[in-house]
Amino acid sequence: MTESAHKEIKMIEKAAREFSKKVLAPEREENDAFPFGPFFNTALEKAYGLDFFHLNLPENLGGMGQSIRALCRVMDQICREDSSLGGIIFTNTLSQSILLETGSESRLQSLAEKATGVFDFIVAFPSLTNPHDLTDLPKAQVKNDVFTLSGHLDYLVLGGMAKQAIIPACIDGNKEYSLFLVNLDSPDVVRSEPIMSHGLHACPAVDVTFSFAEGFLLGEAGKGDGYFTKASETMQLAASAMLLGVMKGSWDEAMSYCGSRVQGGRKLKDWSTMQMKLADMVIQVHVADMLVERACQAVENQEKDWQNLVKAAAFHIQSAATQLVTEGIQALGGVGYMKDFGQEKRFRDAGQIQTMLGHTHIKKLRFIKQFLN
Amino acid sequence: MISRSELNVLMDREPKFDDIMISFRAIAKQPKGINKELKQVIAIARKFNEEVIRPGSLALDRKMHETPDHLAWDYVREANKRGFYTMFIPKMFGGEGYSLTAVAYFLEELSSSCGAVANIVGVHYLGIVMMFSSWNLKICNRICADVIKGQKNGEPCLLSLAMTEPDAGTDSQNVEFMDTGSLACHAQKVKGGYKVTGNKIFISMGHMSTWHIVHAYTDLKRGSDNTVMLAVKKGTQGFSFGKKEKKMGQKACPASELIFKDCVIPDENVCFSKEDMAKLKRRVKDTNAQVFAYIWAASRTSVGAFGVGTARAAFEEALDYATKTMIDGQRLVDHEWCQSLLGDMYKNVLLSRLAYTEAGYANGLHGIWMVMNVKPMYLMNRYLPKALISWFMKPFLNLGLTTTVFRKICFDMQSDDAVNRVDGWGSFAKVVGTDAGIQNARLAMEIMGHAGVRQDRRVEKILRDSKLFQIYEGTNEINRLNLFKRLVAKALPQTEVFSETNP
Repeated sequence: MTESAHKEIKMIEKAAREFSKKVLAPEREENDAFPFGPFFNTALEKAYGLDFFHLNLPENLGGMGQSIRALCRVMDQICREDSSLGGIIFTNTLSQSILLETGSESRLQSLAEKATGVFDFIVAFPSLTNPHDLTDLPKAQVKNDVFTLSGHLDYLVLGGMAKQAIIPACIDGNKEYSLFLVNLDSPDVVRSEPIMSHGLHACPAVDVTFSFAEGFLLGEAGKGDGYFTKASETMQLAASAMLLGVMKGSWDEAMSYCGSRVQGGRKLKDWSTMQMKLADMVIQVHVADMLVERACQAVENQEKDWQNLVKAAAFHIQSAATQLVTEGIQALGGVGYMKDFGQEKRFRDAGQIQTMLGHTHIKKLRFIKQFLN
Repeated sequence: MISRSELNVLMDREPKFDDIMISFRAIAKQPKGINKELKQVIAIARKFNEEVIRPGSLALDRKMHETPDHLAWDYVREANKRGFYTMFIPKMFGGEGYSLTAVAYFLEELSSSCGAVANIVGVHYLGIVMMFSSWNLKICNRICADVIKGQKNGEPCLLSLAMTEPDAGTDSQNVEFMDTGSLACHAQKVKGGYKVTGNKIFISMGHMSTWHIVHAYTDLKRGSDNTVMLAVKKGTQGFSFGKKEKKMGQKACPASELIFKDCVIPDENVCFSKEDMAKLKRRVKDTNAQVFAYIWAASRTSVGAFGVGTARAAFEEALDYATKTMIDGQRLVDHEWCQSLLGDMYKNVLLSRLAYTEAGYANGLHGIWMVMNVKPMYLMNRYLPKALISWFMKPFLNLGLTTTVFRKICFDMQSDDAVNRVDGWGSFAKVVGTDAGIQNARLAMEIMGHAGVRQDRRVEKILRDSKLFQIYEGTNEINRLNLFKRLVAKALPQTEVFSETNP
């Protein structure tokens, strides 16, 4: 990486840290109340203004043309305080990656040019799943070179707020799925109320029903899995960076609390049981940090087998994060379970981020099969 | 092959037979009728699950998200109508007299449908247990009568347990920490009672309970020797409710703040004072520790059962999903790796149930329901008509002498070994059961993928609900230490627990 690229990433990271501390942290509890409280439009627009939604978009398409490392640093900083915004940026960046993989640069350029705000710009996608694992995907029919989609799709992330979505659907007679860009404002698309979810409350999803809704085929028919796989190979690293941020946030809050709370006449940090717990936490934070950095390096250098390095890092971090956030609550005792602190939200968010891009166990099986075969 | 004296010597070596083989001893002494009772209470709970909890608990959880101040009175009234708040109260106090051994199995069933609603019922018995741990039968009789009356007139009368304070969580729950801790709920002796000032927090069902069994301290710097247990009724002057906590899960069971400001509690509502403890054979501090051991051994056994319930719920949801979901052309449940995970989850359920079962036996042999499990008492309580028992026992219960006798039996005749056993097994059941709840809920979320994060698929709620069980009734960290103290360190004379001086 060049010195100037390094400096640029540092600046972006600093902007994300300040944004996270000043904008996200103070409103965390209120923002998490969605869908039973207001949506954090202002924070989202500010993030959009800071170009967090344009990080990986090539410069010629109106983006910042940054590397995956820049995205990871931003995700890390944001998710320390509130992963919901991280989930929105993640889903949108995944959609952008898929559009790039399908050769839909002109669509992306058009989106970037026409957007007057974040809601015009974002593209929804079922980012918690690998569409290959879904049964009963919507069906696509073609007539006069126009595709129409019918059927139901569960858990379309950002589907309630975005104007367009990438939808996996099977074209009649085709076993493998294809990807379509669909206008969600179409009267042929019915969106549910926001789904009440475990975590990432302010990164809402909806269930969607299509009744002959027009869809624009992205890339080639029946190649959806290939496009998704290519995009997710890199984006898995962004999901790992989100978990890294959650882990750091949990660790910071545990340290802060244990440094001030006194029980049995001494601070919690002076109990050796608690010291062991904090040690386990910080060890995992450092390991995850190193894994993300090393995986970024492998991607940037296009090292042989970089995809497997990214996956291995992701599996490790997923497992470590869910354990760490559980201990993060324990370190605070009763208050860790309450919304006054951030730990309970991190506990829930980590569980949700873990599911991104599909079932962990299925992914793990596919991971090992490539070695076995 | 081996002489009797040799056998006794060998069985008295660590690990002592009596410490680790609780069920072998207990089963031989257990009245046969308890088995039938277990089936009955499980059936009652399953019916409630099918008719009330399963159809409504997700909607209730959603409502609590939407309007956090909502109080789930519908569920409390329904539980009250079905006699859940009186069923485990002994007949001599007017209750239905189901054996307390059966409580944990009842709560596991409820928890397998909803951890929060299980608490709506279970927390009441936590208050009951705390009250009974004073063995002040006069007060027990009076307050139980209120509970019975509440069932009859449809106005639920619940009890809560109030220990935790803003700056004293662990400090307020362990005698070992009281004198170096930050206790703040002060009880000043005044003519005719105590004047209480201070706050209690995280009191489960506080806002919905009528009677609160409260620990306060006549000397805040020496709480271990100066604890007083009081029964405070809703509406008492100087007592009010503060905020309800905003919890991650178990939302239908409020965690309340109780505020005492110059609140005078009359002598008739003093369950157990320092002066009462001084009449017993142990030092006041040690008797106080016995009280805690009675409470925790029973309540932690039940919390273990709550954990098993959620572990089971997570398993059942994952199993249901796996049988209905196709992956790579095969049902998920037909994938060997998934079968292995489900097997592991089922193992967690079975193991943790065994843990609380064993702890229950310890309670029956040495703990809070020891007296009721003695066969003559059991048979009387179970088979004689309630009216007859009540008519016969009531005059005795209101005598100070009866309380004195019961305290002599339950405190002075309880050996140190018995205290260690019952308290240690309670911690064991709590840690094993609640860790199983979290492990299974996490595994279920992983198996279910994106479906698992949806509130309408239940399993994410199970994970949220499960987490609290690892925290309350003493964090699992404290319980691991207590387990070590009660069952291991007792045989290590030079080893102190809860008194580390970490350099």
